[in-house]
Amino acid sequence: MIDWLFSPLVDFGFMRRALVAGLALSLVAPPLGVFLTLRGMSLVGDAMAHAVLPGVAVGFLLAGFSLPAMSFGGLIAGLLVAGLAGSVSRLTGHREDSAIASFYLISLAAGVMLISLRGSSVDLTHVLFGSILAVDSTALWLIVGVSSITLIVLAAIFRILVVECLDPLFLRGQGVRGGAVHGLFLGLMVLNLTAGFQTLGTLMAVGLMMLPATAARFWSKRLEGLMGLAIAIGMFSSTGGLLLSYHLGLPSGPCIILLAGVVYLLSALFGRYHSVFARWRRRVQPILPPDAHG
Amino acid sequence: MASILTLESLTLAQGNRLVLENIDGQFETGSITALVGPNGAGKSTLVQGIMGVLRPIRGRVRCEVPNARRAWLPQQLALDLTFPMSVEELVMTGCWPTHGSFKRYGPAEYRRGQAVMQRLGLQAFEHRPLGELSGGQRQRALLGRTLMQEAQLLLLDEPFANVDAATVEILIDALRDMAADGVSIIIVLHDHDQLRRLADRVLLLDRGHGTWTTPAALENRPTAQVSASLAHASGSTPPTGNPA
Repeated sequence: MIDWLFSPLVDFGFMRRALVAGLALSLVAPPLGVFLTLRGMSLVGDAMAHAVLPGVAVGFLLAGFSLPAMSFGGLIAGLLVAGLAGSVSRLTGHREDSAIASFYLISLAAGVMLISLRGSSVDLTHVLFGSILAVDSTALWLIVGVSSITLIVLAAIFRILVVECLDPLFLRGQGVRGGAVHGLFLGLMVLNLTAGFQTLGTLMAVGLMMLPATAARFWSKRLEGLMGLAIAIGMFSSTGGLLLSYHLGLPSGPCIILLAGVVYLLSALFGRYHSVFARWRRRVQPILPPDAHG
Repeated sequence: MASILTLESLTLAQGNRLVLENIDGQFETGSITALVGPNGAGKSTLVQGIMGVLRPIRGRVRCEVPNARRAWLPQQLALDLTFPMSVEELVMTGCWPTHGSFKRYGPAEYRRGQAVMQRLGLQAFEHRPLGELSGGQRQRALLGRTLMQEAQLLLLDEPFANVDAATVEILIDALRDMAADGVSIIIVLHDHDQLRRLADRVLLLDRGHGTWTTPAALENRPTAQVSASLAHASGSTPPTGNPA
């Protein structure tokens, strides 16, 4: 068992790099996911993950399979879609999520079209589903850099994000522009999605953000608890998923996300709060007589 | 007494619909002013205009109180009740004017938070998540945040809606104490009894216009306009519709 766990990491540099990349992403992506769920934007994360594709494709077409070029392209595309969706929402009065949904579909189609025009289906698979073999030193530095920046910015805007999530009117009353906070948060999300696509792929990168966050909600009612648990679930899924990917010869992205998915399903069934088991247990408790309530 | 807030021919609209026209008035330090009017009369719109959330079409709001010392308790639905936050954490967010996004809360702030919660009878629930509070407990927690904020101007939009009678008493006492300490309070009310006990002056809003009066004068003028705005049963409030 110990050999099963450690030998790939001892023997292969690419596994060690992929593990560090996965842990670095797990440190920041799940807390972003927690804020996404609290803001009622769970599916916006998914939409933005699709939206980065044309930028990644342009980076790929211009520089080949170069992580910095593809990440930069993805970042620009993601920020562009977020900015356009925000502008359309403000100018028309439509909800921002519907504008993001419209733009991500256009963006996804454009991305697939661009890659199909110049690349092979193998390239497309790499971009969509990631590859641990491709995490070289440059990619690792980029991922660790993005995680560090995200961690610092998240710590700096943590209180303002909390207050804005809870009661945006309070913040407006204090003269703080919520739009700037929202924009910064979306920027962090796009940055992490582009950093994550190397190991997880563009379509799977959001999984490491959302599944640990949604699973954690079945176990904690406190923000610190949600953050800590989501990070722990993310790290467990990254490590376990990588090892499964190595031993079973499967793509890394789906392995990591499926493991996070298993944790989510188990949490939904047996979690402490609002799970199927918790609801069943509450239902079968006897009703106390009135005097027993004190 | 000094005037801390002046409305000058204030005209406000929601979208393309003109809601209030040429509202004038002055609000003094330590006064409690009730905003009264039927549903859709523009009470919430006026609150938004005073808070600067809604830009006037014409006229202006002159406020001597800085943004950080203006507190606003909107109708309860504005708050995300699923947010994983305890009563104490909510009350402590009232430190925003002095601590902002970065400064750490010190022992003095926590002691003040404890005192505020004790004053509002919240100590038994201080660690309880917001989603598990009753309407009355939640309203007390929100008032606790404004006490922490050391607000000089407090706007409350139907604070007694869906609130139990005991909490109404606690809130009325706390608001009276705040006014005595010099806080100017503007409150949207629907209940004659609460109006009589709380308000010094009344701004009656109807069909886009405002009329200044007193609670006593309003009681002696039971017109259809007033009846549509106020309920007489103590501790009860008429069903509330969409904010204007």
